[in-house]
Amino acid sequence: MDEKIAPHLEELTRALGDLEKTGIRAEFEKLIAFRVPPDIAKESILRKFGEKKRILKVKDLSANLKNFEFTGRILDLGEKSIRSQAEAQEKPSRLYTGVLADETGSVQFSSWKELPGSIGDVINVKNAYVRIWQNRIRLSIGEQSLVSKISDSLLPSLSELSASQKKKLIDIRAADFSVDTVACILQLSYREVLVKGRQSRVISGVLADETGRLPFTSWIELDGIDIGSIIRIDGAQVRIFRGMPSVNILSSTKVSSVGPEEAEKLAFTFESVAKDPVPIKIEEIDSRDSMFDVSVAGNLVSVRPGSGIISRCPECSRVIQKGNCRVHGKVEGIWDMRIKAVLDDGTGSMSVTFPRELAETIYGKTLEEAEQLMFSDVSKDAVYEDIKRFLTGRYLAIRGNSSKSEFGISFVAESAWLPEEDIAVRIVELLRRLGSDEEDGSDKSSQVSRGGIELA
Amino acid sequence: MLKREVAKRVFAREFEACRELEKSERPDSEATDSKTPNLLISPLGLILNRVFVVGVVTELDNIGTQSEMWKARIVDPTGAFTVYAGQYQPEALIFFSTVQVPSFIALTGKARTYEPEPGSVFVSIRAEEVNVVDEEIRNRWIVDTAEQTVERLEAFSDALASGYHGEELREYLLGRGISSELTEGIAIALQREYSRGEFAKILRTSIREGLKTLDLDSENSTSAKADQKEFVLELLKEMGGSKGVDYAAFIDSAASRGIPEQVVEEVIHALLAGGQCYEPKIGIIRLVG
Repeated sequence: MDEKIAPHLEELTRALGDLEKTGIRAEFEKLIAFRVPPDIAKESILRKFGEKKRILKVKDLSANLKNFEFTGRILDLGEKSIRSQAEAQEKPSRLYTGVLADETGSVQFSSWKELPGSIGDVINVKNAYVRIWQNRIRLSIGEQSLVSKISDSLLPSLSELSASQKKKLIDIRAADFSVDTVACILQLSYREVLVKGRQSRVISGVLADETGRLPFTSWIELDGIDIGSIIRIDGAQVRIFRGMPSVNILSSTKVSSVGPEEAEKLAFTFESVAKDPVPIKIEEIDSRDSMFDVSVAGNLVSVRPGSGIISRCPECSRVIQKGNCRVHGKVEGIWDMRIKAVLDDGTGSMSVTFPRELAETIYGKTLEEAEQLMFSDVSKDAVYEDIKRFLTGRYLAIRGNSSKSEFGISFVAESAWLPEEDIAVRIVELLRRLGSDEEDGSDKSSQVSRGGIELA
Repeated sequence: MLKREVAKRVFAREFEACRELEKSERPDSEATDSKTPNLLISPLGLILNRVFVVGVVTELDNIGTQSEMWKARIVDPTGAFTVYAGQYQPEALIFFSTVQVPSFIALTGKARTYEPEPGSVFVSIRAEEVNVVDEEIRNRWIVDTAEQTVERLEAFSDALASGYHGEELREYLLGRGISSELTEGIAIALQREYSRGEFAKILRTSIREGLKTLDLDSENSTSAKADQKEFVLELLKEMGGSKGVDYAAFIDSAASRGIPEQVVEEVIHALLAGGQCYEPKIGIIRLVG
């Protein structure tokens, strides 16, 4: 038996490194014990651990990544004992938590293993993964991760990394533990929420600089700061809100107004950032995990099933089938209309959801009119078919938020319009780029008459 | 999870010059299982699977024997796409069995190649979704496609002029902000035995002429020529309707209303190139729509 599996183990070692330490060998042997043929077992091990060897930086971290290598300096380290109820009798497990940083940012981590270093040391983690915990990205070090201490590292020193990093809004990622930025307040609103049983006032709004926009929430009062103010934020936290990084201002965050002289040196003003976003390519949206308040123009290449008239549960607004809500059972549904479509501009494609108000605008029929169509036709898909006939192939510009998942980009449209009529300008520019060709008569009329003669 | 293939914008001239991209040539070796889509590569390095095309449908044939199979020709300013819809594309099948010829249509579909014998390759589209659209959308598609093609042409010429190969070329192109997909495509295209610069030159000329037919429209709409064009168009509608009109008879009757032959020829040629009218038979002009 051993002779049979030896070559496979050798191959695995070549591909994955030390099998013993990472527990891969144990896993392989478990499969063999279940009488899985060795070559199949090898394949599934390779699929699970192999992939491509990825070395990531803090800025690359996003939800649900696994199997990557990471090197960072420990900025903070703590220890907790965790006792789950089921195993109350047993020895509590220890969880090590803290912050790791590299030159691109800092991230919280939790480890089920004791780390081979302390604050200030640089560690290398193989087979790390990412979990979302309390709406924040957390680098996780599990049983199968391999952690080693690196004594001579090129990473910046502890003091350099501890000073939280100044970032433009576009560079703020979901993984960032703490950020400093200078931005202009574009929107601001107050709401009352219950925090730990106490009524408190939170401020939410939108920040902007010359690179982009991000939502923010402040848990503290912002005195003398209003829409149009340019502020400096030091030590804000980043949380994930609806799949989007959001800047959180806490009591530990320092917020100050930027004076007029300093503001002049900035690359933006309130007027410049308050303008509507310029349409970007879908390619650019695809290169990021999420984007807040951007606009895109393309063709609706496909209207997806599930568009048209839908019925929602009156309690929870979930879409219901045949009057049955997943949570509330038999209910009297409320009619609603939405359109789900694929927008494609040739550089990328994304799935866009248009809520009722927008669906009515781009389809040109109100919910009531669509209902009439639905009741007057025998086919239950009459409205869907009609929307398809009306929209497939059309041009549309939209504005809203994007987020990426394993199914591609999803975009929730907040407004939609027909792209501007700018064809003549674009043609002139194109002709300039194409240049004039020697062999071909540059005179327009000569070409035309050439064709004309053929025709006659 | 497989991501949806992007619908590439490509002119017929470049599309029909596409060839299959062998699995071994593909950039990411991990994606070579059975689920990977068929990929084609153009002489300029465009890698494609799905396309989005807007043009004029000029021919329709039901070529199926046992089950229905429609073959359509869709014309753009540089040439024509051949499109098939069979029993596995039921929606497109119904569409083609009812659509008026000619009309402006928008279509998404998957690129296919067929090589009955070595050396002769037929590139076609298997239709997915089709719809009737207006001329405005067609014009926009031409400009969009021209922009993306010109970008490709510029990157390709740049790569050719640089004289780099392989890894060096990839680094060079990525450094110039070219997307990784196009970089890979150009590197592969340059390795193949293509006519290299020749094709780029032909395509350039073809696009320029296609754009000029559009440009002519917008220019004329502001000048006095526009009125004459309007008039010719009106006359064409009046005389021919949807049946079409004899070209010689049309010239005579235009001349009798004070429009010189040269202007009529110019207008008709522009209309033909712009896809607003076509010749069902030699010497007969018929308006689209």
